[in-house]
Amino acid sequence: MVTAEHVSERRLSIPNNPITGVLLAIPAYFAGLWLGTLFGLNDDANTGVILGYTFATAAFLIGVGFLNYPLERLFGWRVSPISDPEENRGIGRFFRLSLDHKVIGMQYLVTILIMLLFGGIGAMLIRSSLLSPDSSITPPGQYIMLIGLHSVMMIFITSAVIVGPFGNYLVPLMIGARRMAFPRLEALSFWLVPPAAVILAAAAFWGGFPTGWTGYPPLSEQAGQGMDSYIVGFALIGLALIVSGINMLATIITLRAPGMTWTRLPIFVWGIFTTSILGMLAAPVLAVALVQLAMDRTVQTSFFLSANGGSNYLWQNLFWFFGHPEVYIFILPAFGIIMEIVPHFARKPLWGYRTGVVGLFGVALLSWFVWQHHLFVSGIAPVLRPFYMLSTELISIPTGIIFLVTLGTLWRARVWFTVPMLFCMGFLFNFLIGGISGVYLSDVPTDVTLHGSYFSMAHFHYTIMGGEIFALMAACYYWLPKMTGKMLSATIGRVHFWWMFIAFNSTFFPLFIAGILNMPRRVSSYDPALQGLNTWVTISAYFLFGSMILFAGNVIYSLFFSARPALANPWHARSLEWQLPTPVPAYNFERVPMIVGGPYDYGVPNARPVADLGGLVGVTGGG
Amino acid sequence: MFRLEGQDRVHAGRLAVIWVILSVIGIVAALQIHYPPYDNSVQGADQSKTMALMTVLAVPIFIGVVLMLVYSAIFFRRRGLELVDGPPMLGNTPVQVAWIGISAVVVLFLAVVGITTLASSSAAQAVGAAGRAIGQSGETGSSTAGGQGPELQVQVVAQQWYFTYRYADYGGVETTHLYLPLNRPVELHVTSLDIIHSFWAYQLGVKADANPGVDNVFHVTPDKLGGFQVRCAELCGIWHGHMADSDGRVVSQSDFDAWIAQQQKDEADIQKALPSYAPYYFPEPLTKGS
Amino acid sequence: MAVRTRGRDVSPGVEALLDARVVSVGVWLFLAADLFFFAGWWFAFFYLRALNNNQAWMIQGLVRPNRGFGTVVLILAVLTALAYFAASRTPGRGSVFRLLAPVSLVLGIAAVLYQGYGMWHLGFGLTDGAYPSVFSGLTGSWLVQLAGAVAWLATVVLQAGARGDTLARPHSATSFGWILLFLAAVGIINYFLLYFVA
Repeated sequence: MVTAEHVSERRLSIPNNPITGVLLAIPAYFAGLWLGTLFGLNDDANTGVILGYTFATAAFLIGVGFLNYPLERLFGWRVSPISDPEENRGIGRFFRLSLDHKVIGMQYLVTILIMLLFGGIGAMLIRSSLLSPDSSITPPGQYIMLIGLHSVMMIFITSAVIVGPFGNYLVPLMIGARRMAFPRLEALSFWLVPPAAVILAAAAFWGGFPTGWTGYPPLSEQAGQGMDSYIVGFALIGLALIVSGINMLATIITLRAPGMTWTRLPIFVWGIFTTSILGMLAAPVLAVALVQLAMDRTVQTSFFLSANGGSNYLWQNLFWFFGHPEVYIFILPAFGIIMEIVPHFARKPLWGYRTGVVGLFGVALLSWFVWQHHLFVSGIAPVLRPFYMLSTELISIPTGIIFLVTLGTLWRARVWFTVPMLFCMGFLFNFLIGGISGVYLSDVPTDVTLHGSYFSMAHFHYTIMGGEIFALMAACYYWLPKMTGKMLSATIGRVHFWWMFIAFNSTFFPLFIAGILNMPRRVSSYDPALQGLNTWVTISAYFLFGSMILFAGNVIYSLFFSARPALANPWHARSLEWQLPTPVPAYNFERVPMIVGGPYDYGVPNARPVADLGGLVGVTGGG
Repeated sequence: MFRLEGQDRVHAGRLAVIWVILSVIGIVAALQIHYPPYDNSVQGADQSKTMALMTVLAVPIFIGVVLMLVYSAIFFRRRGLELVDGPPMLGNTPVQVAWIGISAVVVLFLAVVGITTLASSSAAQAVGAAGRAIGQSGETGSSTAGGQGPELQVQVVAQQWYFTYRYADYGGVETTHLYLPLNRPVELHVTSLDIIHSFWAYQLGVKADANPGVDNVFHVTPDKLGGFQVRCAELCGIWHGHMADSDGRVVSQSDFDAWIAQQQKDEADIQKALPSYAPYYFPEPLTKGS
Repeated sequence: MAVRTRGRDVSPGVEALLDARVVSVGVWLFLAADLFFFAGWWFAFFYLRALNNNQAWMIQGLVRPNRGFGTVVLILAVLTALAYFAASRTPGRGSVFRLLAPVSLVLGIAAVLYQGYGMWHLGFGLTDGAYPSVFSGLTGSWLVQLAGAVAWLATVVLQAGARGDTLARPHSATSFGWILLFLAAVGIINYFLLYFVA
């Protein structure tokens, strides 16, 4: 906090917004390009492109206003103030740097959904290309570019799609806090995402990159300038993961309201907690790998070239040491969502709450010890394989706990099958298939046939799209009434669910079969005998895309054309975020709440309400 | 042990009966499927059996959970429009212990089966015995070809965007199709000239990454005559999808001898220009501009 | 801009205590993440050294980096951290802090500049094998973080005057000391790896 006497009245009147950011970024990009040629470090301009993207991102962030606070503290200047949540309540606050976690959550939601649209279009182009078994619809070079852009865009999206919108919006509300621990860091984690997406899209100008999201050298060193988009974009997302992880953990650890003991914490918050540990610790390792790749591509070091002392296994180990926790970063928030929503609609306590928490931590802990299962056929020392096979198979146990807890909550319940609840059921079905297919891949003998084939593709689409995206849909239908004040149409919602569920399974289940029948992944041409299968999949994929358009339509219709405002607690849920009015006040709680009950105490005789919102004066801190 | 009372007992009983019936049907159906990589090699047969075993275990688990979901949707939904709370069940330790215990047993069983399959001599060789990296065994990049022991030494050389094969025991002759003799253990040495590829011989049940500067050793013993598909299974650039070879064949020993003799004759001129057989190859010169 | 107490019912004293806890937890979390970052580099060091692919971990005739140079940089960095740590721990804060903290800043700037100069005059080529690659990457990453820490240190020092707020927020100043100590410790580990173990 800056005391009033410290700040001088000198101010620079720069309007801090994304437009300023873009206007500063464009010359900064060219400055970077020019600086790269000045170094003359290599002959194919990678240095320039990487510097260009880095400078452009820094300039964008400065334009948005991130340098204001450091300058203020350093020199005592008062640069244009960042909007205080109470001062600025207009629609403009969504388009500027805001320190209000609720605004950041909404910014994330809209940005990521737009990115999801583009990722989905990429998928449609890929599937269209696969209507023909040779490369006649899309030339191979373009096809590879589409694969790279689709996959990396989806990785960016799924890293943040639940933690960003819903973690940011809900965590302080659920723990009884009035702000986050480090609001500026959280805002930074959001504002890194649009530059990352733009930089990734810019790869198209250079013909994309040929490696898919895994970036294996030496191919990634052979690649043209499009690869630099991958390096910088992924680095920005990694930074966002670290920064957001630190903030979420600090918030949950230090800012819980009095009475919010660890055992009363909503399970969704536990999901965010475990995810943040993984994100914060795994992303730095990715940063190391990306720096090394950048150095190999610019100053000709040899981290990954075996001819000159390096090793392509170095990348594989560093990347997958990050990459495996990364996929648990995708799914742990989704587990949190499902276990959070089901009790409120089953009208029963979360069955085995502590076991569920242990399950989340079990998954998070084991995720560090399995990464070499991506390298089973790479040529690693054979003695390592049994260990990683065992550790990977062991992860099924805590994952199974999630099912145990959810099914136990459904047992003898009086379930209200709303649209969010339908998506939870869909999640459970899809993730079951995704999880079981993972066991096939974890076993080394079966992995010999399945690795690098469409089976592996179907596995991760089932877990990520069938799992995380279905959880995203559940979260949207469940929490948008609180976030926007409008209910999404349940009628359209039901159609959306069944359409998406059937189309999803119709699209991805046959891909298991394609993989078993010798179709490798990332190929633009395949055995003509599989053309029928691929055509079925493509048509189903078009329907799946259609269901997402229907979702977008539902959102637009319900938010802008429907007159019905939402109740403050339309689901009659017990958890703390639903005890607040809609719209949620600037600092969330009028007074610091005193937590006196658990959020899932349905049917418990003499259960107290979850919190006393009258609160006590002067009391802070966790329980 | 614990006992289920009242309603719990009714539902559990119903579920158990339906689950058993559906599982039996499912398992029988699962056993009818012919699992890849089928039966064309010793290692492939082991892999098929493992896949069958996993499916047999997966079917009851899948049926069980889906049955629970469907059953809940039918029998555990709210009646009418009133929002009534359900029974306040916080957990049931014996059930949780049983679930976790059973899942642990299944998983450990699979792990043990997988490890034994790996460890047994024939399968161990299918998934790589001595992935020798450069420098570890003091290799400097050249070796004399020589047929030691009964294992046929075949080197798979991957490059953008095709595979070639060198037979160490036959003077390092390089061919564009992979022919293997029946019932003879083969030691495959997979390497690459440029970037990472992956040699996937589908019907033989072999997949091995080809890394530049690395000699990745895998074993296979084909035990049925016939053809096999070779595809690249690691994204290697634009023509990755076209990096396939459908001319792999397992032939009788005498056919193989005839074929390789023919190859040595046909490729004699080209052989003179090739570098001598080595575990891996680096381009010369090594550094840019030198 | 007037101070906004973000929690209306919270007295400034209590809010300060809460801030203290928030900042110290945040710094420890950051250091955990940073530890994983350097652990990635240390893994690369040991892995490439063990593989020694094509005998090119350290090629014949490689001009080794100057150990004396590295020692000077390390000493400067360690002194920076120790000076600041001592400053942030002094009870009668004001004057001792205002003396030691600038000393720490000067040492830190010297360390950054000297190391930066060293990166420009490595003496060996970056293409000369894996060790030069790891050396330059690891040292360069450490340098970038040290530079960032020194920039933050500058803020702390400039705000240590009567009109500044460093001394009004002692928790923040103390927590920052841990970051400098961490970077110094990483520097020591890097020194031993790069100059002795390699």
